[in-house]
Amino acid sequence: MLAKREDMILDELVSIVGKDNATAAKHIRYAYSYDLSFVTPKLPDYVVMATTVEQVQNILKLANRDKIPVVPYTAGSNIGGLCIPEQGGILLDLKRMNKIIRIDAESHYAIIEPGVSHAQLAMELYKHNLRWSWPVGPPSASVSSNALCHGIGGLSGRYGLNSEEITSMEVVLPTGELVRVGSCAIREDSWHSVLPMPQLDGLFKGWLGTSGVVTKMGVRVHPIPPILKVFTVSTHNLEDMTSYMVNLGNYEICDDLTGVSWWLSQVPIPYPYRPKPDGAPEWYCFGATYSWTKKEKEAREEIWQNVLDEEKKKGTSIQYADYPEEALKARTQLPSRIVGSTKNYTKMAGGGISWPGTFTPANKWAPVYNKWKEILIDHKLSPATRVTNYRGVHYGMLRAMIPFNKQSAEETENARHAIVECLKVDLDAGGIPYKPPVDFAAEINKRAHPGYLSLLKQVKQLLDPNDIMNTGKLGF
Amino acid sequence: MEWNITTLEELEDILWRCTACGNCKAAYNYGPPPEFGEICPAGAEFGFEGFMASKGKIAFARGILDGQLEWTDELLDAIYKCTVCAGCQNQCELDHKPFIPEIIEAMRRKSVKDGVGPMPTQKKIAQSMRSYNNPYQGPRRVRMDWTRPFKKAKKPIKDINKEPADILYYVGCTGAFNLPARGVPVATASLFQKLGLDFGILGEDEICCGSTAMRIGDADEFKRVAESNLETFKRLHEERGVNTIVTSCAGCYRAIKKDYVLSSEYDKIMGGITVIHTVELLNNLFKEGKLKFTGELPWKVTYHDPCHTGRHLTKFVIDKDGSQLWKGAYVGLNEEDCLYDVPREILQAIPGIEFTEMERIRDNSYCCGGGGGVMTGYGDWAAKNASKRIEEGMKTGAEHMVSICPFCHYNLNEGSRRIGSEMKLYDLVELLDQVIAEPK
Ligand SMILES: Cc1cc2nc3c(=O)[nH]c(=O)nc-3n(C[C@H](O)[C@H](O)[C@H](O)COP(=O)(O)OP(=O)(O)OC[C@H]3O[C@@H](n4cnc5c(N)ncnc54)[C@H](O)[C@@H]3O)c2cc1C
Ligand code: SF4
Ligand code: SF4
Repeated sequence: MLAKREDMILDELVSIVGKDNATAAKHIRYAYSYDLSFVTPKLPDYVVMATTVEQVQNILKLANRDKIPVVPYTAGSNIGGLCIPEQGGILLDLKRMNKIIRIDAESHYAIIEPGVSHAQLAMELYKHNLRWSWPVGPPSASVSSNALCHGIGGLSGRYGLNSEEITSMEVVLPTGELVRVGSCAIREDSWHSVLPMPQLDGLFKGWLGTSGVVTKMGVRVHPIPPILKVFTVSTHNLEDMTSYMVNLGNYEICDDLTGVSWWLSQVPIPYPYRPKPDGAPEWYCFGATYSWTKKEKEAREEIWQNVLDEEKKKGTSIQYADYPEEALKARTQLPSRIVGSTKNYTKMAGGGISWPGTFTPANKWAPVYNKWKEILIDHKLSPATRVTNYRGVHYGMLRAMIPFNKQSAEETENARHAIVECLKVDLDAGGIPYKPPVDFAAEINKRAHPGYLSLLKQVKQLLDPNDIMNTGKLGF
Repeated sequence: MEWNITTLEELEDILWRCTACGNCKAAYNYGPPPEFGEICPAGAEFGFEGFMASKGKIAFARGILDGQLEWTDELLDAIYKCTVCAGCQNQCELDHKPFIPEIIEAMRRKSVKDGVGPMPTQKKIAQSMRSYNNPYQGPRRVRMDWTRPFKKAKKPIKDINKEPADILYYVGCTGAFNLPARGVPVATASLFQKLGLDFGILGEDEICCGSTAMRIGDADEFKRVAESNLETFKRLHEERGVNTIVTSCAGCYRAIKKDYVLSSEYDKIMGGITVIHTVELLNNLFKEGKLKFTGELPWKVTYHDPCHTGRHLTKFVIDKDGSQLWKGAYVGLNEEDCLYDVPREILQAIPGIEFTEMERIRDNSYCCGGGGGVMTGYGDWAAKNASKRIEEGMKTGAEHMVSICPFCHYNLNEGSRRIGSEMKLYDLVELLDQVIAEPK
């Protein structure tokens, strides 16, 4: 009986997308069952590639009718197992919806489909001397998925999260209904802003594909000033580095202001843990700043020099430092094929990467990191940690990139255990994980205000009455 | 003769180095300006992640090894829908990078060993190899058909079995049996004669290099012909004074250079013998001033890098004993054997030639779409791939495309015909033959 139902569903999917774009073949499903994270592999029941909005609508209508989970997928590189189907269902691969619909070089925004990759957009934007806040991830991954999941990139110090750069969206709701948010909701070809209307875009951002399928997105893009200057310093502890980053951050002159621990500055991250050489600084920082003119660059340098002098006067361990060249390239030449291939992170460990990736107030970075260090070293893992200011100084990213040997179940579990322990420390210090795997979601929910959870569930119920979208990923 | 041909099981540890990051799915360089393009013909056509680049192929390999994937017709089909072009390999930076084509072919070898592979149409190749010593079901005597014009013109080509010569011109089965590609050996031999090179051919005694068998996973058949060829090379070196083996076929070139070295006897047998692609030999002569152009060719052309003379010849540096990084680490690569500049140099030197590049070139060249057994297994798809490459060539404004592989020659011309394009694929030797006259 069951087999029959499955056949019927496949037939319906085939009738929507054509026989070459829907399958239940095990080998195809298997290739979507795992990613690079510690999340346990699980198979979808079907894989479907959509190429039009109408197809997406029809797939969701079918799934909603038959209460079949649907997992939106573009490249699956989120590092959180977010596209691993918790409860099977339809894996909806959107990579073939990959048109750059428009680049408005005058008003500085682009309209893209979900399958548009960083590499593809970088090539097209460059023709207009424009850029996006490229993440340090695979160039083949999706721009819109990154933005939807509150991704961060090389301009986050200046413009904030990539989700803050979304200007409009077209979304298919779990019921199959087509909706729009932002200016494109009022006039079809107007994609410039989500404001000043009620911010309905929030119904889809940070939801990890659990509230609908975005089929078009407007994103703000920015000009590329010609002169790059990178300020590099080192300190012996994160306390001193935080003091510097907050001080420099006040001036808002950096596109990216990032500190990395010695272990993250190594290419690749040492696996298993090995101590840093005696005397080597524990923290490095690079502040990438772009200028239009030489004078502007000199003014930026003056500010930086003043900050450095002030920090030195405080008696901290700060020093000018040469940032390792390969690691610096990986941060400034984005999108990067080299770092995107995960070489900088997991080449030594093999196969696996996960992270406790969090948004954490700057004044909590050091205490959390010091505890993380203990936990990670205890698990023989390098504390390869990154801190980054987001638009100003009050908070930013605190994240440890943890490579592990995915071939070994034991080493994978060791990494998972350490990462979840780290996460608890951060949550208890007031941080919040991003792109959270289900293990993290459970920890968030444990600590959440009941009113928050109740509202979240109500909104989810409203949008997705049959709980079909990426079922289980919110941890309830 | 012992062969060091790896099994899938032996590659298990290495294929767990893949992170499934998906970097291999597209060709991308930072630049600036940034360059981006499709690189995987299989992924471009079939779309699902399993078809996509090394990411997908490694997923299949993992599934087969961990017992989750059993042989089905569909799985087999997916494994053979890959041109083994190594475009994906070029994008990856992890320790399994040097082994990516190996992983794909090891899966195929396993399928053959398990009695399921290759694809039904490809089984004909294996049968033909056994019956005719070539993949084209061509009777022995047909191998010599292309030499008829030479006989007619009373310029016979030396039979190396009978007369000594410094150079063995190893023609390859595609040039000999595939009618549209016959221009390649004809032009090669014509050029060699004009240049006064002392060369001979094996004629009816030539047998397949084994490339096609190896690419479709039939290691036994590959070994059979490779061993026989190695013995022949040794005999010709010792008895006929052959010091150089030259071939115009990218597949043969790759096989002899990269697959034959897997034999325990390779160094012993091939010591003192140079293996060289025709175009490199000609370019050397050009640089030494021994090849002079006598005519002009006012053509606007672009150049297609065959996978087998390009990235397939990349040498990978691996830390074998752990002294540099760690045991088994991929350290770097060396492209000195890759024929990227050589054909471009001599092509651009032809008087009258206007040369323009396509977007995806050199290590990021887009496969003609026919390799890895795809032309036999999936003829329509092979031609469709080739049409895409032709379209890319047309975008440059070139009239014709030039390459150095009879296989690409055939497939790209098929691709051109399929879309009704005026663009033709010529082998570089066919151009050179037109601008180098008989010595007076
Ligand atoms: C080595 C490495 C480094 C990385 N560095 C960074 C970094 O610096 N910054 C950063 O932000 N990220 C980083 N990432 C994570 C990731 O690569 C990027 O965020 C990427 O852009 C995500 O795109 P994707 O196509 O892989 O998304 P996927 O993993 O396919 O999808 C991500 C989520 O979005 C959902 N989704 C996908 N499409 C839709 C849609 N159309 N509608 C609704 N939901 C959808 C999915 O269900 C999933 O929950 C890194 C990853 C790696 C491997
Ligand atoms: S083969 Fe290399 S580039 Fe491709 S997914 Fe695996 S690690 Fe990434
Ligand atoms: S070898 Fe070529 S066709 Fe095969 S998976 Fe790699 S890129 Fe695709």
